[in-house]
Amino acid sequence: MGPVELLHMSVFSQSFSPCGRFLAAGNNYGEIAVFSLSAALSPDASEGSQKPILNFTAHDGPVFTLLSTDTHLLSAGNGEIRAWSWAELIKKVSPINSRNTSTQVLTSLEIPEINAMIINPKDNSLVVGGGDNNIHIMDMETGIFKSVLKGHTDYIHCLCFKEREGEILSGGEDGAVRIWDSRTNRPVHCIEVFRYEVKQIRMRMPQFGKWISCLATDSDWMLCGGGPSLSLWHLRSMSPTSVFPLPGCQREAVFHQDLIMSVGEGPYVSHCLHGGTVKAQIPCTPSSLNTLALNLKNTEHRVMTVGGSSHQIDVFTNFSYRAFSLSF
Amino acid sequence: MPLCVRARMSIKFFQIVQLAYWRMGSITDDEVIRKRLLIDGDGAGDDRRINVLMKSFNKWCHSNFSPEEGFSQYQRMVTSLAQCEFSMGKTLLVYDMNLKEMENYEAIYADIEKSITSAHEKIAECKKEIQRAKRIRKNRQEYDALARVIKQHPDRHETLKQLEALDKELQQLSHIKENVEDKLELRKKQFHVLLTTIQELQQTLENDEKMESDDTQESPVENGD
Repeated sequence: MGPVELLHMSVFSQSFSPCGRFLAAGNNYGEIAVFSLSAALSPDASEGSQKPILNFTAHDGPVFTLLSTDTHLLSAGNGEIRAWSWAELIKKVSPINSRNTSTQVLTSLEIPEINAMIINPKDNSLVVGGGDNNIHIMDMETGIFKSVLKGHTDYIHCLCFKEREGEILSGGEDGAVRIWDSRTNRPVHCIEVFRYEVKQIRMRMPQFGKWISCLATDSDWMLCGGGPSLSLWHLRSMSPTSVFPLPGCQREAVFHQDLIMSVGEGPYVSHCLHGGTVKAQIPCTPSSLNTLALNLKNTEHRVMTVGGSSHQIDVFTNFSYRAFSLSF
Repeated sequence: MPLCVRARMSIKFFQIVQLAYWRMGSITDDEVIRKRLLIDGDGAGDDRRINVLMKSFNKWCHSNFSPEEGFSQYQRMVTSLAQCEFSMGKTLLVYDMNLKEMENYEAIYADIEKSITSAHEKIAECKKEIQRAKRIRKNRQEYDALARVIKQHPDRHETLKQLEALDKELQQLSHIKENVEDKLELRKKQFHVLLTTIQELQQTLENDEKMESDDTQESPVENGD
């Protein structure tokens, strides 16, 4: 991996292992690197422990999304979903993918890229959204695609799942957030985010467009951002409650305790409060960030990792400052 | 004898044995060794005093001294003994002091342990407090956000009042409508009555006319007879 390739590397996705001690990250060259968090966080960590314990090529194209189930790591890029066993990855064995499935395509000319994958734990199915404007639901055990949710008019960027009501939220390039009921597979709501304004602050930022690239829910509340500014919505009343005055488009946002953390354009992680104020902006090494992940499964290695347009992944042990960086 | 004195004596014995072995190895340094042994043979400090005392006691017992010399020798020995006792007393006191220091340190150590555990507990408490405070803050923020949205909508009392006013208006209007309808009915009925009476009158008039014309027709027939 020469210096030029390292310079042009972007990290698109991250996922923690089910035990919480390992981090897998996917980049734009199609490689997945597995890092050992316990080695990197131990008191006698060295330069070598910030390098991956395993680095293998998973796809031909970039790895847009990674997802961890209890036993497997699922990766998706240009059309194919591959499953890798975590047990093999932890043993530093270059794995052979145990299952290789692709979404059903209408025309065999193009296999659409897959931008987002989530798991519906209620009926153990994988929900996949990508370039063909549809959401495909696949049963995890049999690998058969059960249903298709059609409704978006442009490709889908992000997916999210509401546990309590069993609803799937999807945001896409067409600027609409659609809410689907997972049991009946019917659309419940459609919100065109760019049309709204809160307190005379328009959410739409015309120079960026209307695409929605990040979604997060916390039972009754929803965060969405992308082209329009990051905004907090109350889902029961379908009304926006606050707009966050962040410069640049936000690519990923999460709810954590009483804060909202979001990353996007700009070399910082923004901490915001529900009221609409930006509490802090923590600087980090990549010049713009694509992905943020919180390791809440394991209390010893409770860290936040962010990755973006750099070959380095920043690790935050205390969420207020950057501790160190892992590098590909 | 206290432990330190015994230790020092054993060290001295070891040194002497070492020197003896060395002496066996090189003969040229005989003088040096002999001189060293002569000077240092008794040991240092307390050891030396005890050795000297023993030697002088032996000498005093076995040799013939004049009474003054013997007495002075005796005095010297007694002072030496007194010095030895003094130094022994000193070491005993130091030993006691060390023991007490140890106890003191143990007590301080136990105190520090206790304060460490209490600090740990306090930290755990504070962490729980922080979690609670974060939850409260989150709830307050959500409440504020929702309140802002709700404020944008008009006040409930006002809309209720408007609704009441509208209701009243509606009732009034329906009342008026009823009245008008009743009047209409009444007028209809009256007109109906009027028209029927007119028609009946017309009928009776026609009947009357008919009867009259019948009458005149009949009477000429009767007259012709």
